Amino acid sequence: MSQPELNDEELLQRAGRRDPRAFEQLYDRLAPRLYGLLRQMLHDEREAEDVLQDSFVQLWDRAPGFDPARSKAFTWSVMIVRHKAIDRMRMLGRRNRLVESAALERSVLDADSAVAADAGQETAERAQSVLAALRELPKDQRQLIECAFLKGLTHHVIAEALNLPLGTVKTNIRRGLLRLRDLLKGGD
Amino acid sequence: MDERYEELAALNALRMLEGEEQRALDGACVSDKELRTLIAELEEATAELALLVPPAEPSAGLKKHLRAQIRSKGGTAAFGISRGAILGIAGWALAAGLAVSSIWLWNERSKFIERHDSALKAIAAAIPATDPTEEKKETLSLEDELKSIRAAYEKKQAALNTEIESLRQRETEANNRITQLTAETEALKKQDAEAQFQIASLQSEVWEYRRSEMEVVWDGRRGQGVIMLDKMPRAESGKDYQLWIVDPSQPDPVSAGVITLDDKGSVKTVFKPVVPVGETARFALSVEKKGGVPKKEGQIVFISP
Repeated sequence: MSQPELNDEELLQRAGRRDPRAFEQLYDRLAPRLYGLLRQMLHDEREAEDVLQDSFVQLWDRAPGFDPARSKAFTWSVMIVRHKAIDRMRMLGRRNRLVESAALERSVLDADSAVAADAGQETAERAQSVLAALRELPKDQRQLIECAFLKGLTHHVIAEALNLPLGTVKTNIRRGLLRLRDLLKGGD
Repeated sequence: MDERYEELAALNALRMLEGEEQRALDGACVSDKELRTLIAELEEATAELALLVPPAEPSAGLKKHLRAQIRSKGGTAAFGISRGAILGIAGWALAAGLAVSSIWLWNERSKFIERHDSALKAIAAAIPATDPTEEKKETLSLEDELKSIRAAYEKKQAALNTEIESLRQRETEANNRITQLTAETEALKKQDAEAQFQIASLQSEVWEYRRSEMEVVWDGRRGQGVIMLDKMPRAESGKDYQLWIVDPSQPDPVSAGVITLDDKGSVKTVFKPVVPVGETARFALSVEKKGGVPKKEGQIVFISP
């Protein structure tokens, strides 16, 4: 059996047992998607690469503690990358900076280009499912989730930028994410 | 579940929490399994959103940097020394320990064997099973990397050698040029040293030529000179001025040619005697028949002392 047949979780577990080949395969598989996300969050290719490198070093460090029963490798990686990106934004003084509402409203997740660029059939199907679920959400919930995910801002900043009550922002994010979870689990 | 914690879990999934809110959620989930499950589910749903972001290829160098960084963090053993080697070293160390211990603790041999077995089991448990295929792949990967580094090094070395060769060639050319210039300088110095200039300023005893001036610069080594005449009266019709060189070794003055004046009664011209003369000489200017004569006949108007 060759390594390319291993799934993300198996590769990360092997990396946890200090297998650099498996880790490189995991990098090849995940890095483009994570780098794409970082570029959207940081708007700077150099910063994005820097954070991507830091994130993968952390993935290597933490890989021995990865438990596939508790989390998917992809989820784990995205969470680490976003956490690092938000740390970098905080360091650069961007996180708590008020942004224009127009800039937030432009933060839109659109699977068309993402799916077309991805060669993997399974990934393409997953992306289509996520997009379908996202489109099921009311517009105000969807918009808040999208700009929070892509901009990495705090709910305080988003509320101020969009001129919305803080409670409304929190409620819509809560309702939107719970609904998204249900839809992705196959609920209606 | 309390809506407040649902809210915190949702905000946490988007990494929007800070300070007090984050601490409140962390504290609550320690004892709340349902909350932990909710957090995991919301994180998974949130992470799936990354599938809607267009992928982009990071630069090729990033992977190399990452590899280097992981090695520097202690991953060297994983990249550099095979597990087989580690096992081999451990085995040898164990065997040596066994030999020494068996001499010292012969009477407790049975106890030692027990300890030895348990130690082997512990080592076996601590070291994960080695997949020979993986090791081979890892070795091949490292070999490829080494080849790539060596090829790049050799290419760089070849470029440097070419540059060094070019610099050497330029250095040789520069040295040749310096040698040539030095030789030329030496030759010029020698010429200067050898040059024997004689400068003579002549006055006329003849009344008509009392205001006239005549100067001669004579290079005895080259056997030629320059004559300068000024404020000279015109030669009579059918007459010319002729320059003579008086060489003590010659019975008669040697002709240095006819001197033709301009309209203002001046001239500056190079002259050379018709036959070689000695380095030390005197000069004379006479009025001769038109076109000059081979042997002085006319009146001398200038003569150097």
